[in-house]
Amino acid sequence: MKRKFTAFDKVIIAFAAFFFIAPLIAAAEYSARGYGDKGHTFANYSWIVHQLGFSPALLTSLRIAAITILIVLVLMVPTVVYVHLGGRRYRRLVEILCLLPIVIPVVSLAIGAQVAMPKSLQSTSYELCFFYVVVAMPYVYRTLDIGLQSVALSTLVEASQSLGADWFKTLTMVIIPAIRSSTTGALFITFALSLGEYTLAVLLHFHTFPTWATNVSQQNIYGSIAISVTTLGGAWIFLIVIAFIPRIKSLFAQRKRVA
Amino acid sequence: MDLHGSTVEFRNVKRTFGTVKALDDFSLTIKPGELVTLLGPSGCGKTTALRILAGIDKEHEGIVEIDGKDMSQVPANKRNIGMVFQAYSLFPNMTAIENVAYGLRVRGVDSHKRESRARELLDLVGLSTQADRRPTQLSGGQQQRVALARALAIEPSVLLLDEPLSALDAQVRAQLREEIRRIQSTIGISTLFVTHDQEEAMAISDRVGVMNKGVLEQIDEPGKLYNKPRTPFVAGFVGLTNYIPAVTESKSLVLVLSQSLEISDHSPAVKKGDEVRALIRPEEFEVQKADEGATVITKSFLGPVTRLGIDVGTPDLIYAEITSKEAKKIDTGDFVRLSISSDAVMIEHV
Amino acid sequence: MVIADELTSPIPTRGGRGTSRSTPKFKFDKSLLGLLPLFLFLGYFLLYPIASIISASIHDNKHHLTLSLYGNLFSGNYRDAFTGSFKLAFYSMIVSGIAGALICWSVVKTTGVVRTITSSAAGVLANTGGVPLAFMFIAAFGQEGLITKLLLHVFHWDLYGGSFDLYNFWGILLVYCFFQIPLMVIIFTPALENLRVEWIEANESLGGTKFQYFRHVLIPVLLPSFLSACLLLFASAFSAFATAAAMSNGSIPLVPLFIGNLVNGNVIAGQENQGDAMAMGMVIVSLFVIAAYLLLLRVTRKR
Ligand SMILES: Nc1ncnc2c1ncn2[C@@H]1O[C@H](COP(=O)(O)OP(=O)(O)O)[C@@H](O)[C@H]1O
Ligand SMILES: [Mg+2]
Repeated sequence: MKRKFTAFDKVIIAFAAFFFIAPLIAAAEYSARGYGDKGHTFANYSWIVHQLGFSPALLTSLRIAAITILIVLVLMVPTVVYVHLGGRRYRRLVEILCLLPIVIPVVSLAIGAQVAMPKSLQSTSYELCFFYVVVAMPYVYRTLDIGLQSVALSTLVEASQSLGADWFKTLTMVIIPAIRSSTTGALFITFALSLGEYTLAVLLHFHTFPTWATNVSQQNIYGSIAISVTTLGGAWIFLIVIAFIPRIKSLFAQRKRVA
Repeated sequence: MDLHGSTVEFRNVKRTFGTVKALDDFSLTIKPGELVTLLGPSGCGKTTALRILAGIDKEHEGIVEIDGKDMSQVPANKRNIGMVFQAYSLFPNMTAIENVAYGLRVRGVDSHKRESRARELLDLVGLSTQADRRPTQLSGGQQQRVALARALAIEPSVLLLDEPLSALDAQVRAQLREEIRRIQSTIGISTLFVTHDQEEAMAISDRVGVMNKGVLEQIDEPGKLYNKPRTPFVAGFVGLTNYIPAVTESKSLVLVLSQSLEISDHSPAVKKGDEVRALIRPEEFEVQKADEGATVITKSFLGPVTRLGIDVGTPDLIYAEITSKEAKKIDTGDFVRLSISSDAVMIEHV
Repeated sequence: MVIADELTSPIPTRGGRGTSRSTPKFKFDKSLLGLLPLFLFLGYFLLYPIASIISASIHDNKHHLTLSLYGNLFSGNYRDAFTGSFKLAFYSMIVSGIAGALICWSVVKTTGVVRTITSSAAGVLANTGGVPLAFMFIAAFGQEGLITKLLLHVFHWDLYGGSFDLYNFWGILLVYCFFQIPLMVIIFTPALENLRVEWIEANESLGGTKFQYFRHVLIPVLLPSFLSACLLLFASAFSAFATAAAMSNGSIPLVPLFIGNLVNGNVIAGQENQGDAMAMGMVIVSLFVIAAYLLLLRVTRKR
């Protein structure tokens, strides 16, 4: 049973909504201004796209995100699956290791990377991918671990083998489908993190989308605010849409059943 | 410990949530020391009745009295009512004994007294060795015992239990049910027990009230409820019942399985030729082996009796219970002849 | 799994025990091989960099072993940076902890669309905050911002009349609240979702007042989760870099900004390794905070 929603709660929610939405609206208004006070315009938004360095920066970020995801797929997914299947006794150890990056401030990690990584790696932006995997690791581990716990993977595998499936069939017909949704979740987190990460990128002197967006603010403050509004608003709407997808799906499913 | 049993009275209590009538003209009297159970399907208003008596829900019409005193102006924390919930009601930050002592603590009883009293109660529910455990360190059954002890610690005038056993395993459930009854009758406290499990209701209660959609359809001793149901709903909800298509022959006679029977007093009014359903209990059949007729499809041994599932051509199988001795002669696949042994049957409209 | 039981439980498990007991020596376990990739990866990309900082932080520029770099952290600009970061983290922990807990209290009671909107907003602000958030603030609360104007013209409150400046301590604190409060909402939600209406009703039927419910049940139940959530806020504010970097063009002494400067080559001659000592200083503070957090978490888990 839910606790009662009182007038006090309404006040709090209204206040919080104002506190958080007002600046976003104010920023949106600001981003629609132009130099020289010529009324409101969308010019700053089209300005973003036409700006020198926009597409290279975005492409770099997307490429980094793609490779980071690939590493997570190759390294983290098999490891966590392995821990859930055979190496169960090392669960605590792996958990501690994977959560370790929480303790290390990203700034400190950046210094360490500068000191320790060979020059050959430091000269390419792919260096970021490895450290993004490190930074994302606690969240990725949590997501995968919780997801796998809820499907009781080892029981499924035993059942599959007792029914006569060989290892290949077990892998393709049981393990992969069972881990699909938690893997998607983990990859989503990785993707969001590698697209938005600023600290490592700027401290290690790479030109990703977030560092580019900060740099252009020196030429056109309205434009960089337009970028911020787009990023925050876009991410928000995206999350809301994602949250509603199951509902929309079930709506369609119902329609079909009625028809 | 002896509590005087209080009299509890609901008079014409109504409660609606939007358009849902959770309680409709609900009247009920609990005599001192009596254990009354409200039985009914989920959503029929049992919890609502309990919460109104406890004073947690105050938006109702009608009168609630305890020992003749109108409760409408008495807030929940002054009613002195012990409550046991379905689950998760123990305060997680307190040990078992602290939970039991809580009611005394908020009353300002000094710590010495409340501890000895709490120990006494933990003893009563058989948990004296678990006094210093936290709720999460106790099993579900133990948690409910602590909750019972906590409710009793304040020497309440009435004890309310809202499906206290439904979150437990079958075995623990049966055991704890007996114990609740034992403790209740030892201390003689008036008790309102709520459940959707008819077996539980029958086993534990002095009287059982069957509820349906906010209405108290019948309240009686368990045996009477079973043998003399006053509405089709009660007949169907209490015990296993066959619903058999039938046609009325007159206002007082009905033709069931080509047998002409009297219609019981509590059935709805009918006229000749109405299509109805007759409600017949499994033990009201006599089954004889025959050369043709109905076919026995299933046979399940239930100890002293055996239940047969018989195909008479109606959409559902008819279940008949006969003594296991008689059942030895009958096998699945055999043809049988069914006859109804009762004098009068209850019917309901289709 | 028999072997796992033997490692952790003092009670003998059924069967298959004898052999392993007679060989107490550590035996290499082949199933560790499956974890080798993770060990190698974390070893190279996490432990090795940290080890390098540690090593650099205890050597001066003539490669002599010394702890003087750590000693420096307690004086001058370095100390100011640490006190600045502490102050910022502490203030934002208090403000965001309390405000976030209050908002969370109401948010967990909402359902459906309202819930979706609020929780996704919290997710966005807490995680993708950083630089965009800083710019949003400059736009809204700057000299020319809509909110500044609104406050001035509608409420006749000149934001810039007093000591407020978007780029000083209070400005940064305000911005930090915008990702710390949502973070609090996210971390604190599970604790509030575990509250039960039955506790309120049990308290009432046992004769307790609302105040007694607060004092004896609600606060004791929530306090450990609240404190541990606050510690996470502290850690997050203490090590946050992006927002501060975008907002404060170096005007406020903060450890992450200081380190950022050193990384960018603004090194005082002869103190090349000072940045490493600072970075380690941050790791140490963070270690302490997280350790306290884990300790508190164990208290809550025991419940
Ligand atoms: N707080 C409430 N708001 C709206 N409807 C309610 C509320 N509480 C109960 N109801 C409705 O009242 C009816 C009776 O509920 P309840 O007394 O809880 O049933 P029971 O305990 O017999 O399962 C149900 O239809 C339920 O949906
Ligand atoms: Mg109920």
